[in-house]
Order: sequence, then C-alpha cells, then structure tokens
Amino acid sequence: MFDAIDKKLLKAVADLEGIPKGAYNIRKNGKLLGREISANIIIETNEAGTGIVVRINPGTLNESVHIPVIVSQAGLHDVVYNTFIIGAGSDVTIVAGCGIHCGGSKSQGHEGIHEFQVEKGARVKYVEKHVAMGEGKGKRALNPTTKVFLAEDAYAEMELSQLGGVDQAERVNMVELSAGSSLLITERVMTDGTQTAVSRNEIILAGDNSRANMISRSVIRGDSRQDFYATMDARAKCFGHIECDAILMGNGSNETVPSLKAKHPDAELTHEASIGKIADEQLMKLMSLGLTYDEAVNRIIQGFLK
Amino acid sequence: MLEIKDIVFSVPDLDAPEKGAQKTIIDGVSYTFEQGKFYAITGPNGSGKTTLAKLIMGIYDVTSGSIFLERKDITQLGITERARAGIAYSFQHPARFKGTTFRDLLSIAAGTEDEDKLAKIVARVGICSLDFLDKPVDSRLSGGEIKKVELATTIARNPRVAIYDEPDTGIDLWTIDPMVRLLKREQETQGTTTIVVSHNRAFLSAADTLLLIKGGRIAYAGDLDGAAELLKDLSACGYGDICEGESDVRCHR
Repeated sequence: MFDAIDKKLLKAVADLEGIPKGAYNIRKNGKLLGREISANIIIETNEAGTGIVVRINPGTLNESVHIPVIVSQAGLHDVVYNTFIIGAGSDVTIVAGCGIHCGGSKSQGHEGIHEFQVEKGARVKYVEKHVAMGEGKGKRALNPTTKVFLAEDAYAEMELSQLGGVDQAERVNMVELSAGSSLLITERVMTDGTQTAVSRNEIILAGDNSRANMISRSVIRGDSRQDFYATMDARAKCFGHIECDAILMGNGSNETVPSLKAKHPDAELTHEASIGKIADEQLMKLMSLGLTYDEAVNRIIQGFLK
Repeated sequence: MLEIKDIVFSVPDLDAPEKGAQKTIIDGVSYTFEQGKFYAITGPNGSGKTTLAKLIMGIYDVTSGSIFLERKDITQLGITERARAGIAYSFQHPARFKGTTFRDLLSIAAGTEDEDKLAKIVARVGICSLDFLDKPVDSRLSGGEIKKVELATTIARNPRVAIYDEPDTGIDLWTIDPMVRLLKREQETQGTTTIVVSHNRAFLSAADTLLLIKGGRIAYAGDLDGAAELLKDLSACGYGDICEGESDVRCHR
C-alpha cells in the first residue's frame, strides 16, 4: 500500500511505521488511500466529497485517530475540508499532519481546513506536523486553517509544528471558548533559506472562567521570514496568556504582534514576547560543559523547539 | 597545577574623555594554585574577582600574560577546550533556557543520559532533589534553585579545577553550610582544585588559602587569620571615591 516515499513521509508527520492502530484515514495526492473506523470513531466522506467528517461518540476514552496526508504528485495542490465532532465527555487524540515530497520543478501544496466541535466536557489533543522533503526545486506550500469551538468545560490541546522543508506557510487558527473551557496551543516553526511562514491566531474567550494559553516558538535561519499574530479577545471573566519567542539566526526577519483585548472588566490577559539571537550566556554555559559552539547552538535550538 | 603568569586584562574605557583609552581590570596577576587545595577569592566590588575567574575559564581572553594547566599552556584555548582539559565554571548569574531541562544540562555535563548515573550525581550533590530533573531551567526556577542546578552541573563534570563564582547568591541561609561541606567533600574525595569567589565568611573559613583582590592585583594571599585586618574594610564600597549616590550607582548594586 505504501511506497518508500510514503513511508518516509508517514514516519515524519505521524511517527507511523505502517498502518496505525485504531481509526485512521490516509489521504494521498487528493485521494483516499486507506480508512479504518472503530466502534466509537466513525469516519465518513463529507457530502460535497471534499473531505471527511470524523465523529467521536460521547464518552469515548483514550482512543486515537490518525489522518495523515501525503502529497507527492508534481504540481498538485490538494485542498481538503475536514470536520471533527468530539462527543461529550470523551478524551481522544487526533494525529494529523501533511508530508510533501517534491521531486520536480512544479509547486506542490496542501490546504487543510479543519473544523472542530468539542462538545461539553470533552478533551481532545490535536497533533499536527508539517514536513516537506525531496530533491525537487518546486515550491512546497502548506496553508492550514483550524477552527475550534469549545463547548462548556471542554479542553483542547493543539500541538502544531513545522520543522523544515516548507517554503511557504500561512496558518490560521481560530478558537472560540465557552464557559469553563480551556485551550493550550503550542506552535513550533523553523524556517531556513528564503522560506516564509505566517501564523495568525484569533482566540475568543467568550465564556466565564475560560482559559487560553498560546505558546509560539520560532527559529528563523538563513534569509527566511516568520510573522506571528495572535489576538486574545476576552468577552467574559477569563484568563488568557500569549508567549511568543523567536530566535534569529543569520539574516532572517520576524514580526511578532501579540494583541490583548479585554471587553470584560474581569478579564485577565498577559503576554510575553521576545525576538533575538541566542543569548551569549547560554552558549557560554554549554561550552563550559564541553560542547563546541555549533553543538551548543544545536542543543539550545533543540530544547527551544522540543 | 594551575599557574597564572603576569596576567593583564584591559577593556576600552568608555567613560574616559580621550578616545581609545583603556581601563585595566586585572593588573599583572601571577599565582600558582596547587592541586587539590581550596581557594577563596575575595575583595571589594569591582576589584576584578569575577574577571580573574572568567580569564581562567577562557570566557575572557587575557590582554597579556599566560595561563598553564598542569604545565600545559592553555592561554590560547577557548572555553570548550579548557572545559575538556578539566576546568569547570559555576556562573554567578546562571543562564536560563526555554525548553532545556536540568536533565539535559546534567547529561551534557556528565556525558551520559543513563538514569542511574544521573541519579547518582544528584545524590552526590545532595542539595537538589531528583524530581528537579525534568524541570526546565527557565525563568520559573527561583534564584536559589538555579544556583543548585549550576552547582550540580559543575560537579557532574568531575573537574580537575572547579571555579565557583559567588555560589551563595540567592541561596537561603540554611543551604550555605551544606554547600560548603559539599565543596569540601568534592575537594577531599575527588582531589578537585577548588576556587570560590565569595564574600561569605563560610567559604572564606573553609578555604586553605585566601586571595584578596584589590584594584586588579592580589593584595594578600594566605590564611584567613592573616587577612583579618584587610578584611575589615571589605564591607566598605570600592566605588566610594566616584559614588554619586542613588542617581548614579556605578557599581550596579
């Protein structure tokens, strides 16, 4: 079912050595490559035929769904609309991710538009890795859009990463939180060469006692550019925090714009942001433990993006 | 064992009216540290104590003079090579890292990721607990906690020469004595040549030899009793003659 390139991409984006355990949906070059459902997790193609609907039955505990996407066909721009309905009281992990293998000179890309409805008291962990590889010169583009609606007391953790090979990325994350719900987003992006990545985040704290924490770590190598925008829009008694740090290496550039909007007197919003090179004191500490300069740089970046 | 010879360290004097003026921080210091002995370096603020320690580690390059470790000239070696030659350094204000844990630092220091070996080091250091291992060494650690991490990573190197720059900064009173005992124990069991930069009497009393630095020179080398008179004005500020009060605190206190 998988060729060597597929296997390499699946390993990179979903840590899969073969067919995953539990429910899965594997999409390759815009077509379904394989699907498996479980007693509690139903996956169907949507009515328009443009993506899938994943339904997690209420009360489903400790199950996972893998939905990796592979794009290896030259010139293909794959667009997919996926909907996830996470049933009340369930606790699941969804592993998504897209791997592009570019072998030619034509550009290739994937746009995953994901919508999550996390029902009352449900918990979901969403892991998304984006990777591009291949010896081709074509541009590799990944433009994901993720919309999340958290019902009362629901919890979502989103682990988003793009650690190499993607030439152009425009990410949009939109989250709306109801009363008592909480959100943790960690985003890690590394760019190099002339790559560009933009991340736009709009988090609406609509319900009382909702909590949101957004952590972004960027490493900008070569002449690449990364921009990060995040807005916490507080409309109730809530807590929101944005932490965004960017390390500049080489001649890259970065724009970081955290924005806090309190529209309720009991809103509590904070942010911390930094842009800069690796601190000398960090390098000196690791070198005084016997690492060379380059080894020290690598260890610091590894930890930062971990 | 560690010999410093006619060391001079000057930096551009940005406050001087004429361009290109130099300020001498270390002014021709020579000294031989003996194998397995405990040294305390003390002196007023701004006297050059930390600079001297950093020159030995290679964090600053000497303007002139030489440094020998076990008769080998290490003057031209960088931090990494000096670390590999057996010198370890505990910073007064340790670096904080986002995402790097105590375990990461300790593994680099000890050259192993083996859980048992790391646990043994933590036990040997004694002052920080095992559940510290997976804590990130970031801004959430208190001043005292990060100093304990710093101390542990220095000891984990099993150094021939261990330099501790003000190890008691941020440490609570109750931990200072155990810390002194720890450094003494390392000195005695591992034969570590130990150099502590400190104002704290607990470290000064523990030392075999006290070096009093004043104005970039060694003003005294010997035992604590002999230094009693000189130490009396240690509490006095070394910036007295240029101090302009609260509005211009040149000593950065």
